Formats: sequence, C-alpha cells, structure tokens
Amino acid sequence: MKFTKSLCFAAISAVLLFLLAAFPADAAKRPRYGGTLRVELLAPNFSLDPREWKSGSFSARQNEKLAALVYERLVTLDDYGRFQPALAIEWSHDAAAKNWQFKLRPNVKFSDGTPLAPADVVTALQIVLPATLQLTASETSISIRSPHPIPDLLEQLASGPHFIFRALPDDTLLGTGPFYVAEIDAAAPYEANPLATKPARLRFRANEQSWAGRPFLDAIEVTLGEPPLRQLFDLQVGKADVVEVAPDLVRKARQDNLHVWSSAPNTLLALRFDDAQPASADEHLREALALSLDRDTMANVLLQKQAEPSAALLPNWLSGYAFLFESPMNLERAKEIRSSLPANEAGGTEPLRLHVDAGGDLMKLLAERVAVNARQANLSVQLASHSTSASPGAAPASSANPPLGLHLFAWHYDSLSSRAEIDSLLKQLHLDPAPENAQPLIEPEQRFAEERRLLEERRIIPLVLLPEYVGIATPVRNWMPARWGEWRLADVWIERGEGAPPAPAGGAAPDNSATPHGRGDRP
Amino acid sequence: MRCNSSSATCYHRYRNVVLPRSETCRFRPSRTFLILFFLCFVSLPRAFPADSNSLDDAVRQLADRIAAIPNLHGPLRLEFHADANLAADSTWQDTLRQELEKRRLPITDEPSALLLKIGAAETPTQVVLTASARIADRDDVRIVAFARAALSAPALAVAPIRIARQLVYESSDRILDASALGNAAEGGLAVLLDRNEELFAIRLDSSGAIKQTVSLAAANLRATRDPRGELTDKGATAEVLLPGKICEFTWAAGKELNCHAKKTEGRTATVLTSPCDASNWKLEAKGDDWSSPDLLQIAPDAAARAGSAALFNAFPGPILSINGELDPGSALIVARNLRTGNYEVYKITLLCGN
Repeated sequence: MKFTKSLCFAAISAVLLFLLAAFPADAAKRPRYGGTLRVELLAPNFSLDPREWKSGSFSARQNEKLAALVYERLVTLDDYGRFQPALAIEWSHDAAAKNWQFKLRPNVKFSDGTPLAPADVVTALQIVLPATLQLTASETSISIRSPHPIPDLLEQLASGPHFIFRALPDDTLLGTGPFYVAEIDAAAPYEANPLATKPARLRFRANEQSWAGRPFLDAIEVTLGEPPLRQLFDLQVGKADVVEVAPDLVRKARQDNLHVWSSAPNTLLALRFDDAQPASADEHLREALALSLDRDTMANVLLQKQAEPSAALLPNWLSGYAFLFESPMNLERAKEIRSSLPANEAGGTEPLRLHVDAGGDLMKLLAERVAVNARQANLSVQLASHSTSASPGAAPASSANPPLGLHLFAWHYDSLSSRAEIDSLLKQLHLDPAPENAQPLIEPEQRFAEERRLLEERRIIPLVLLPEYVGIATPVRNWMPARWGEWRLADVWIERGEGAPPAPAGGAAPDNSATPHGRGDRP
Repeated sequence: MRCNSSSATCYHRYRNVVLPRSETCRFRPSRTFLILFFLCFVSLPRAFPADSNSLDDAVRQLADRIAAIPNLHGPLRLEFHADANLAADSTWQDTLRQELEKRRLPITDEPSALLLKIGAAETPTQVVLTASARIADRDDVRIVAFARAALSAPALAVAPIRIARQLVYESSDRILDASALGNAAEGGLAVLLDRNEELFAIRLDSSGAIKQTVSLAAANLRATRDPRGELTDKGATAEVLLPGKICEFTWAAGKELNCHAKKTEGRTATVLTSPCDASNWKLEAKGDDWSSPDLLQIAPDAAARAGSAALFNAFPGPILSINGELDPGSALIVARNLRTGNYEVYKITLLCGN
C-alpha cells in the first residue's frame, strides 16, 4: 500500500515536472536568434549560378536548395496554394494572360548594399524563361509579354531556377536573400592523410539587411559530398542538424528514433529507350518490356516501401490526373509479344544494353531488377558500364562502346507548373511534342493527352516515384518545408541547451557582429 | 489592388479578410452555453461560403462535361480516387451523384454498369477534378480545375473542455495582436496585423466588418521575421507597443501616429478570473515552433498549485498572442491555423461548471 502511494506520488511529480518544463513562466516563448545550422548533403559539387543548372538533374535540386539561401524569386507559393509577394509586391495580367506586370518591392538591396533595379530582374529572368517571352523594365516594375497565354507564369516564377540575382563583371552573383556566402572551402586532401579527401564546405551568414528581416540563424554551414551512412551517423551523434537520408536508410533512421521528414514524391526513376541500338525502335519490343516490369516489387522490396510505383510521367500531386495511368505487369502478354519478335532482338548475342545514368547503388539494384523482369519475358537486358554523361538525353556512347538501347534515369521535378515540367522533360529527352501540341499545353486535358501520347509511345517507361527524405536534429525548430521539397531555412531556428540567448522582449533581433559583408555572393 | 493569376481577376487588398465565424462549441450545458450554442448555430451557414461554392461549382461543371461525352449513357458506376483531404468530406461526391442524375445519368452499384472514374487531387496551386470513362476502347477524360486557395480545410474540432472558445476573426494577413474595443458596448475588436511587411491597426465592428484601417508605416520599424506588437484600444485612441517604441493614434483622425522611443517589455501573463469562485487562472502557451499545433494551458495562478488542475485547449497551430479583455473572464488568443494558413483570433471565456 505504502509502495503504491509512493508510486502514485512519483507519477504525479513526474507529470508536474513535465508540465512545468513544457510551460515555462513566460506567457509565450518566441523563436531565438543565433546559432549555426549544420547541413550535410550528398552531392560533392555545387553551382549557385541558375544559368548553369540542368533541368531535372539531382545536382539542380541541391543547387536550388543552396541558391534559395542567397537569392529570392519574384513570388513564392505558400502551403495553401496562395502566391505570396516576395521581390514583387503586386502583379496583374490581361484577360488572355499574355501580358503581365510585376511591381517590384521598393528599397530592396543586394547583399553588397546596392539597390535592386528592375533591369536586374529582367536580366536574371531573361536567361531562364523561354526565349519567346519579351521582358522589359520600367522605373519600378517589369513587364512580361508572350505571344501565347501563360496562365501558369506565377507557378514558374515561384519555382525552379527563376531566382533574381545580379552578375558582376567577375561572374560573382549577388542576391537579396536571407543569407550570403561567407566562405567556400573546396574539397582537398587532408594534410595528415593525403589519400583521404576533406569534403567541400560552404558557410552562409545571415544577411542583416534582408528586406524580410534577418533570419533567426547566424549561419548555415553546409558540408558537401558526405556519404549517406556518414550523414546518418553525424545526425545521431549531434554533429549535424539537417542531413539527407537515402531511401534505404529511412527505416533504420526511424527505428533509431530519428526525426525523418519526407516530401511529396519529387523524383521519377524511369527507363528511356535509345535508338542508338536499332532494337529500341521496335514498338512491340518496347511494349513487351513495359509489360514485364514489376513496379510493386521495385517500390516495396528494393526500395523498402520508401517509393511508390508510377505509370505516369508527372506525379498526382503535380498533375492531379496521374491515377488514370495504369500499367500493370502482364508477363503472359509480354511473352506472347516477345515470341512474335525476331530472336536477335533483345536476345541471343544482341541483348538490349541498359545504362544507369544516375549514380548510386539503388539505381544499380533497380537496373538489375529491370534485367530480371525482362528475362522472365524472354528478353535479354544487359547492364552496360559506359562512361556517358549522367543525364537524361545524353549524347550516344562513343564509338569504342557498343551502342546503348536503354537508359535508367532519374528526373527531379523542379517546376510547380505541370506544363513547364512536361516541356522541360520533352526538351531534355529530345522528344518532339505532338504536332497539334506545338502550342503550349494550357488546358489540363491537353496536358493529359500529351502525357498519354508519350506513355503510349513507350519511349519513356516510368518505374517509381521517390520522395526526398531529410533527417532533422531535435534542436531544430520551425522546420516548415513545402511538400514539394523547398526547405525554407530562413525561418528555422535552433534551441540548444547552452545556445544563444533568446530575442529580447519587444522582438528586435540582437545586434550581430557579422556585417552584411564586403564580398559578393560567390558562385 | 492585387491580381491573381488563377482567377484572372483583380481583387481588393482586403478580399482575403474573412468575416467572423464561430466554431462548433462542445461543453456542458449552461445558460451561457445555450446562448453561445445558439450563436454558433446561427453563424454556421456562413462559415465556409467560398469553399463550398468553389467545389460545388467545379462539381457541377464536371457533371456538365461528363454529360457531354459522346455516347455516354447511364447507368454509371462511380469509383472515387481522392486525396486524403478531399476524401475526408464526401459531400462533394454526393453532389456529383445528384448532378449526374439531374442530367439523366443514373448511378448504380451494379458491377456490369459503365465505370466512371472520378479523381480529386490538390496540386500546389489547384484542385483538380477528373472524370474518365472507357467508351469504345478509348478513355474519354474530362478535367476541371480551380484555384486551391479558394478551398480551405474544414474547421478542426474544438477540444471538449470547460472553457468556451469562439473564433471571432480570421485573416490571411499575419495578425500580431488583438484587443477588445475600449467601448465594450460596441462589442467590436481591434487587430494589429502585418500585411506585406507593413503594420496596420484595424478596427472591426461586432459583425467583423472593417470600420477603420490605420497604417503604422510611420513607426519606421525594422523588418523582422518574427514581427511583434501589442495593441491596446483605449476608446477614441489606441496604443501600440512595438520593439523599442510606443505609438499612439486616434481612431477618428485615422492618420495621426505619435511614436516615442521607450524600452518596451512584453505583456505579462494573462490572468482570468473564474466566474465561480473568483479564483485566478493564468493562460500560457509555448508558441515557439511555428510548424506545430499548440496547447493553451489554463492553470491556477498560484505557484503551489501550478499544473495541478490545469486545463488544456488544443489550437490548430502556434499561439502567437494572448491578451486579456476588459471582461476579466475572457481573453483574446491569436493563433495561426496550420490547416488553412490563416491567422485567427479566438475569444476564450472561462465558464462556471464542471
């Protein structure tokens, strides 16, 4: 009885302690200023120059994340489908959505203190927007004119490479964003062990003059080229705050009670036929291979349920109609078609040569699964180890290598406009739009028809869709990324035990010794 | 004026401001409860006019387009593929069934009937409704889309606790603080909000209509990602406590703003008085993580009893401000609703009873 009473007392005390800890004396605790966020990324290289990015590539995804720290766009899209003013404070267009006007935010300065001018906006956007658009600057605004309607212009401007920057004569790029690049340490051999390479590091510091207010963090330190297991370990031991988690490590991370955030599936893994190998031109062969593929096993076994099977080029969260595309495995039909094909097509001494365009062990495993599935339909697919460019639509292999018939590639969706995404995919893969679709695909039914045409041609066969997984350390607060993968680090703050003091009552950010720098944001 | 691409129409800067509405209130019956319940009930029909119209319009438009598919005859068997948010409320599905039947396309569950697949998905900017029927070996697809911003999530249920909570105002602009009007008889509200990096004080009448708007741009505040300010209405005038300064203005004049530097300190904890035994109860919230829902804690205002009899009230997002009213039994709470993205002002009233 006495023991029970003691237990009760202990339990009540624990609850009280918890409540006292959860609700401190202040009526409402506010975000804290200060601290450095340590981020680790997988890719070893980066470019902060949007003019250099290749649509759909993994590197573009990483570059976009880093660039969002330094540059801003005209508008942003919030989580509720509303466009929010950023560098543009007002916008309007005519009834046909061909002529757009954007009034720019006054008193915005680049990180070197020089003012943002409409001409800067025109120069930055002209390079990344289609050449058919005509941009002009006036005193306080810019105009965009198009020969055809562009109702999705805001979706385009709020995503992808549509950042506003100023290029200095020495190619330094300046931004107006919440941070600026303070230091870049290139990857280099360790002094103590020249055989090992010290990863590249970037240090971003808070831009005190940001028109939207200084970010909460003092700095963000980004380490590039860290392998997935190392990143996970660093997160576990408190050496990193934000890391990328590879799909095959997600389960382990969650088992270890790590906080793993996942985006909407924003990367497509797909096969692309290459006419360099003549067999690929045979549409029956393409159909047989498509019918042999077991997407469920790929998503649920190989990728441990961290991916979803896909028969569409665009994910449902972007197009809204992806559920209409189905491509169930039908091995019997695949065999039947195969039996009607010449024996040397994807068989005998002439296997279909498959190249894995994107790096990583998972891609190789997926390619092997494609070969296994094909074999079940009596199609011979052989993994080729050509040293071609790792991008979709890359040039054919050199003459020393036998021609390729198939590529396994990854495509990262980087636009919020489904029309722009289809256009970009067609362009990168050197696929021609249908003649009737030479004009922009404005209506959703037009986009659906074009996607259906591409899928029925089977030049591209979608396999699975992968979300982006990010491991977050416990002290990270206000982690509010967009579901399409934008991180929004300007609003993040850190609560460390012995961390920076809270912002003073009244709300002004404490003065920070870091100046907005005298050097530009460097690419 | 600001223009929106999806609607191709310009709208007034105040268009996003939504008139007050009440949430479903659940607590034990009392006279106050019955009055509040009546108010809730009366105001419910205008709670989501824009949402239901947008979705209903799109559903009717889809029904029109389905009925126009060549060689499509009923009866039809419907198969729905909807995103979780849209699947949660099946009202639109019922509307679609009714609209199709009105167009002489009867609905059935017979497996042999023609299958009509209906999709409903939220993309980053749109709600996309899709219909697909296979006719003569070809899928006929019809798609209707409208701006997602026109559709907001249904209200969250209010925790069944012993306090009355009423949503009195909401806006897509960032609300920093709310204050009951000094003249309590008017029953209105004064709100301090941040619109496009500029502060405004707004006076609303008891129906939520904007009576006056005063720009506080003359206060020359430094831009911040965590804007703060406290508004106190004093009848004809109002006082705004801002970082490092206090500003006063007259509602009637509208434009006079007098600011002077002063070391400002935030509001101390709000304490309410129970109508039952005149005991004091302190309101507290965390409000430190804008990415997660918050809990309002109402605890006895005595250190020895802290936490022992606390009430908790769940909010749909972070609580940003707590302000006691003239009435010692109630307070105004500003919170962000993470489901809709809007900033909301709630009135919390302590009720006597269990």
